[in-house]
Amino acid sequence: MADTTEQPFTVAVSDTDLELLRKKLDLVRLPDELEGAEWNYGVPLADIKRLVAYWKDSFDWRKAEAGINKLPMFTRDIEVDGHGTLNIHYVHQKSEVKNAIPLLFVHGWPGDFLEVKKVLPILTAKSDEHPSFHVVAISLPGFGFSEAPKKPGFAGRQYAEVFNKLMVALGYNEYVYQGGDWGHILGAHAVTHYGHTNIKAWHSNMPFYRAPKFFSNPLLFLGMLTIPFDTVTKTRLAHSMKWQSKGRGYFIEQATQPQTLGYSLSDSPVGLLAWIYEKLVDWSDKYPWTEDEGRLLEWISIYWFSRSGPAAAGRIYYEMTSQNQHDVLEGTKYSSVPLGASYFPGELVRLPKSWTSMLGNVKFEAEHDKGGHFAAYEQPEKLAGDLRKMFGKGGPAHGVVPGKNGYD
Amino acid sequence: MADTENEKPFKVSVPDEDLEQLRQRLALARFPDELDEAEWEYGVPLADVRRLAARWADGFDWRSAEAAINALPQFTRDVAVDGFGTLNVHYVHQRSAVTEDAIPLLFVHGWPGHFLEVRKLLPLLTAGSAEQPSFHVVALSLPGFGFSEAPKKKGFAAKQYAEVANNLMINLGYTEYVVQGGDWGHYIAGYLATYYAHKHVKGWLSNYTNALPPKLWNAPLAYLTHLVTPYSAKEKAGWTRSQGFRLTGSGYSHEQATRPQTLGYSLADSPVGLLAWIYEKLVEWTDEYRWRDDEVLEWVSIYWFSRAGPGASVRIYKEMTQGFTRATTADVRWTSIPLGFAYFPKELNRVPRSWLSTLGRIVFESEHEHGGHFAAHEQPGELADDMRRMFGKGGPAFGVVAGKSGYAA
Repeated sequence: MADTTEQPFTVAVSDTDLELLRKKLDLVRLPDELEGAEWNYGVPLADIKRLVAYWKDSFDWRKAEAGINKLPMFTRDIEVDGHGTLNIHYVHQKSEVKNAIPLLFVHGWPGDFLEVKKVLPILTAKSDEHPSFHVVAISLPGFGFSEAPKKPGFAGRQYAEVFNKLMVALGYNEYVYQGGDWGHILGAHAVTHYGHTNIKAWHSNMPFYRAPKFFSNPLLFLGMLTIPFDTVTKTRLAHSMKWQSKGRGYFIEQATQPQTLGYSLSDSPVGLLAWIYEKLVDWSDKYPWTEDEGRLLEWISIYWFSRSGPAAAGRIYYEMTSQNQHDVLEGTKYSSVPLGASYFPGELVRLPKSWTSMLGNVKFEAEHDKGGHFAAYEQPEKLAGDLRKMFGKGGPAHGVVPGKNGYD
Repeated sequence: MADTENEKPFKVSVPDEDLEQLRQRLALARFPDELDEAEWEYGVPLADVRRLAARWADGFDWRSAEAAINALPQFTRDVAVDGFGTLNVHYVHQRSAVTEDAIPLLFVHGWPGHFLEVRKLLPLLTAGSAEQPSFHVVALSLPGFGFSEAPKKKGFAAKQYAEVANNLMINLGYTEYVVQGGDWGHYIAGYLATYYAHKHVKGWLSNYTNALPPKLWNAPLAYLTHLVTPYSAKEKAGWTRSQGFRLTGSGYSHEQATRPQTLGYSLADSPVGLLAWIYEKLVEWTDEYRWRDDEVLEWVSIYWFSRAGPGASVRIYKEMTQGFTRATTADVRWTSIPLGFAYFPKELNRVPRSWLSTLGRIVFESEHEHGGHFAAHEQPGELADDMRRMFGKGGPAFGVVAGKSGYAA
């Protein structure tokens, strides 16, 4: 039966909106900075000055927009129980391979659907040597060009529902899932509700779980107490502690007062730039953003020109923690759906690998020596390579989707 | 001996160009969406911000507010701070209306407060009679706030804030004085006591109740008391409120203590963003205080037009907590100079008395029925009364400043 709400989609920012951005950038008022501050107080002033000048004088949004519009993009209405209908934006690229594996790619914050850009041609490529995928990359509700929820309480269950309804509407009743950041967290929620019935396997590039508790994982818990962590694991934990102690301000503000923060992010392009750029630098593995500033500003511009505005995106932190009352995995259950985990050294949270087994049924693991939080963007070959290994012939999740094993 | 050479009278005088640019920015304001029936659950309501922004652009008369502020006796002077050269410090200085022998008082604001929080106290404290002590009042703008210069180097923290405040008082001829503070003013008063008790600082009254729990090794009696004394009903209510604040109201402090520069770009560039950031605290931290729109806008305008810009003010969080790695009171040392607490029910933090006693020798306590964090602004009569009862005749800190009892001879 045909679902007729799908529309082809092109990004088309109005001239008025472009003009408003230009006017704001012209009027920019910058703060001072302490001598020798570097990155110790936040984003350095020199970086912001340079990026503002670029954004104002050199960055060509229309050119970037045209590039984005080369991707096959669509919107359709998805109904969510208790939340009415949301118009959802997504990239949908089918492979030439008829039996390609349907894959849902889910971004996080401050990410977006465009993070799929580099892995798309790799994943959809046809070959006898590796499996191929039909790829769907969604803009999460409230991000990119998807509508934002209007009511409070849009959390794990609701995101999972949007994902599943979208894939089913596209004809993919059974599919696999890939995500990092919120994509990872929402993956845990998605398999809780749709594991086995629809989601046949999932992969995360930020595979974290809660620390073991005695009642749920006695052996791991006791291990944590009695067996000293090896050096590698200690390094991983120390790295995570850095995020925990120095880099969580954004999390707590977004989880508790996203609306208050939202006034700044909606009104100030330089404020938004700094807020996001900080994470693009902090969380990537020395990604050379200075050589990619056009792409960087395109990234920020997606947030600036997003359908619901940049403030809406931050609300995910509030809803998923019930205003900081519980952790983001609350409501998830262990699922035996095959799980793949890719570990990138620059990832912001790096926990003992033994804990991943609490997250799910680990069937595939890969450790890398380069790459950070934005793995699909920083190390597309490595990430796509992992998915090929996981789902390819001889791989631990080969053939999980009946009739769609990735090869013709 | 007062050093008068260095002092210059000061009047707030925002250039026309700055006023015009503010209007231009407000005209270009872009507002976020809001969830249905969000009210205050997700932060400041959209309707409030829209209304205030509209008034700020058209209706709020800054020049009129400025003229009224300039009715206060304000000055600037260069104050030396070890390792930081000199900073040009702005302050209100109002002498007693009735006697030379008034008690010198330093009033210290916090964030998002400012020097004007002293405004309602001034006429009350500088008045006096045979029944009521009088004060000479100095209210500084902390470095980086209001019309004081901001430090240029890293590491301007507790010791430096105490030093600049103490040097200011000495330069004004007040070699002995008492202190009143809340918010950062509470912490800075604690450090003023730590470094300058007896020699210069003779007593202090705080309206902000935050301290670390006593440890067995540094405050054995308080520690044991803390173990065995049940909390009073008020302490329990305060504790619940503190927990709530920590869980849902402290996001701003995490960001300001770890990434003040990043946040600073927003606060410096967006008047609407700055308005929301501060207004949230003006409402959430007060006890049903009926803010007039113009009152809010004057308050936020001080930040918008501040000498160092609004981004500079939030750095205090990082410096004072060493990037959120150290409790602000960690280095406050107990001293025997008289310490008083004014307890206001809607203050955001309340710790047990046994914890507060680690900060000094508590000689005065006052429990109020109304009022919140901005006590000087919300309940000036109550706070002034506390100052009089603590330092006046019959009070536990009467006569702490030699020759300056607060009464005419």
